[in-house]
Amino acid sequence: MRSRLASLFYENAQATPEKLAIWCDGKTATYEEMADLVSRYSNLLLSQGAVYGDHIAIPMNNSIESVALFFSAADLGICVVPLNPSLPLEAIKAAMEAGDIKHVIARKAFYSDCEKSGGLNIPGFKICLDQEYPGTVPFAKIDDMSSERPTIDHDVDGSESLILTMTSGSTGTPKPIDISQDNKYDRSMAHIRVYKITKEDRIIAATPLYHSLAERLVILPLILGATSILLPRFTPAIWLKCVEEQKPTFTIAVSAQLAQILELLKRPDAPQINSFRSIVSSSALLEASVKYELIDLLHCEFHEMYGASEVSTVTDICFQEAKDKQNSVGLPFDEAKIKILRDESESDFDTDCAPGEVGEIAVKSKLQCKGYYKQEAMMQAAMFGDYFRTGDLGYLDEDGYLYFAGRKKELIITGAINVYPHDIDVIIGRLPEVEECAAFSYPDDRLGEVVALAVVPKEDHEINLRALRTYCARNLADFQQPHKVFVVDKLPKNTMGKLQRMAILDYVRSAGLDD
Amino acid sequence: MENVKDFIIDYIQKEYTIPDDIDIINLNFVEEGYVDSLGLVQFIYTIEDEFGISFSDDDLQNPDIKVVGKLIAIVESKMEAGKQ
Repeated sequence: MRSRLASLFYENAQATPEKLAIWCDGKTATYEEMADLVSRYSNLLLSQGAVYGDHIAIPMNNSIESVALFFSAADLGICVVPLNPSLPLEAIKAAMEAGDIKHVIARKAFYSDCEKSGGLNIPGFKICLDQEYPGTVPFAKIDDMSSERPTIDHDVDGSESLILTMTSGSTGTPKPIDISQDNKYDRSMAHIRVYKITKEDRIIAATPLYHSLAERLVILPLILGATSILLPRFTPAIWLKCVEEQKPTFTIAVSAQLAQILELLKRPDAPQINSFRSIVSSSALLEASVKYELIDLLHCEFHEMYGASEVSTVTDICFQEAKDKQNSVGLPFDEAKIKILRDESESDFDTDCAPGEVGEIAVKSKLQCKGYYKQEAMMQAAMFGDYFRTGDLGYLDEDGYLYFAGRKKELIITGAINVYPHDIDVIIGRLPEVEECAAFSYPDDRLGEVVALAVVPKEDHEINLRALRTYCARNLADFQQPHKVFVVDKLPKNTMGKLQRMAILDYVRSAGLDD
Repeated sequence: MENVKDFIIDYIQKEYTIPDDIDIINLNFVEEGYVDSLGLVQFIYTIEDEFGISFSDDDLQNPDIKVVGKLIAIVESKMEAGKQ
């Protein structure tokens, strides 16, 4: 038995060899060329001693070769552990340890950094992607490999781990989310169905490939026979240029990117974009004003989704269709069920919130990952029966639509009163001089925690602290009043552009703003 | 200690090889996405560590630090000033 993911891709290569499979940074591969590359990559891995079940770590950039690796790994029953190349070396090594890494594929700079800090101890091979480096196999050897799909001596039944996605837990220990080949297949199929994706679609991925969103957006088109457009790096200008040239029809983008893209689209010299039939916003709630302006400028269906890497997409909403649910993140996918859990301290028996009541969003989904790799206890702790606790707060309305109300762990508890920082962000964010802002928890001897606020002023604007405080006094409850206000140049965000609320305190301290 | 130019060009290419047809010296590596704006601060700290120099707040506001050739010149002049 061979890998279903890899076989679907090879079948598409047989059926439409001349069709464009993938574009990335000006380079292209037809399905035939991509199949050759995947086979050569598999043969390279086999020639170096990779076997079924091995784990390969790769500080991963967005490239056609990275995408080929996913399909080679699927075909051989190997697991890829994509890592963020900009992580400090120590964090990369911790992730490698957590992921039981046998082999490494990396750029020269990575091996050279490793050597400066005591070397890299792994049992298997090391491949160097660019140039040559002592003790590594040059990737260029791939040119000597056969372009025949290799035969394998072990069944690949779909239960194999395909990707370990590293996220860091609250303690900083890596939390490897284990996604099997079947998970990837089922998730792709669910998205194809919900977003009516066809072979004719050109799907643009603009986030890093070491996150599940971009992995989904490159694997999905290639098993469907569509075209993948992979942005090498994201800046709004690079995105816009690529969209103008490559004319993608579908994407799932993170909301922070969409907000930046909107700024460019509003300029008088901005190009007309009308290739999209559908755009989905993900990762964090999109500001309503941004949403409506984008709908006007992009002339396409506009969706918002809610999900988590562990359970994939949970809900979706199309704003042009659900006119009376504009603040919702939508209805669950067929594969998912949602429960809103009341705070456990209140009752062990009556755990489901009533419609309209805010609680923790818990999800039971056929798209759920295999678990956290070798961290069963951590996964168990995240479960409520067979529901995964997302750590997000929200509520359902009478019609079953989900509404997002912030992250549970970002909750500020000041004098035993729960403060949802998102509520404060929304109010302060309405000030014309504020580019973005975030309320966060600040330690306090008296109240345990107090509300603090980080504000990024708009370009050429200044924050008048006195006026801000007056505005807060007028528009926020007493327990919501920021005790400290920090004017900052930007907010800490992860590579997906998601606000790292828990990192703001460190950020203002390291910037010397908190004396 | 590495040569300033090699150090800076290697750092920018940690994730992506800059294509041969690009004029590296005039490349704005932030606008072109090779280093993002948060990463720029880390990059500057790394340069400070490597070459034993320091950037003032004004330096950090100077748009020239995002252009390869200009950044090299700024670092070299700071090193020169440090020797005197």
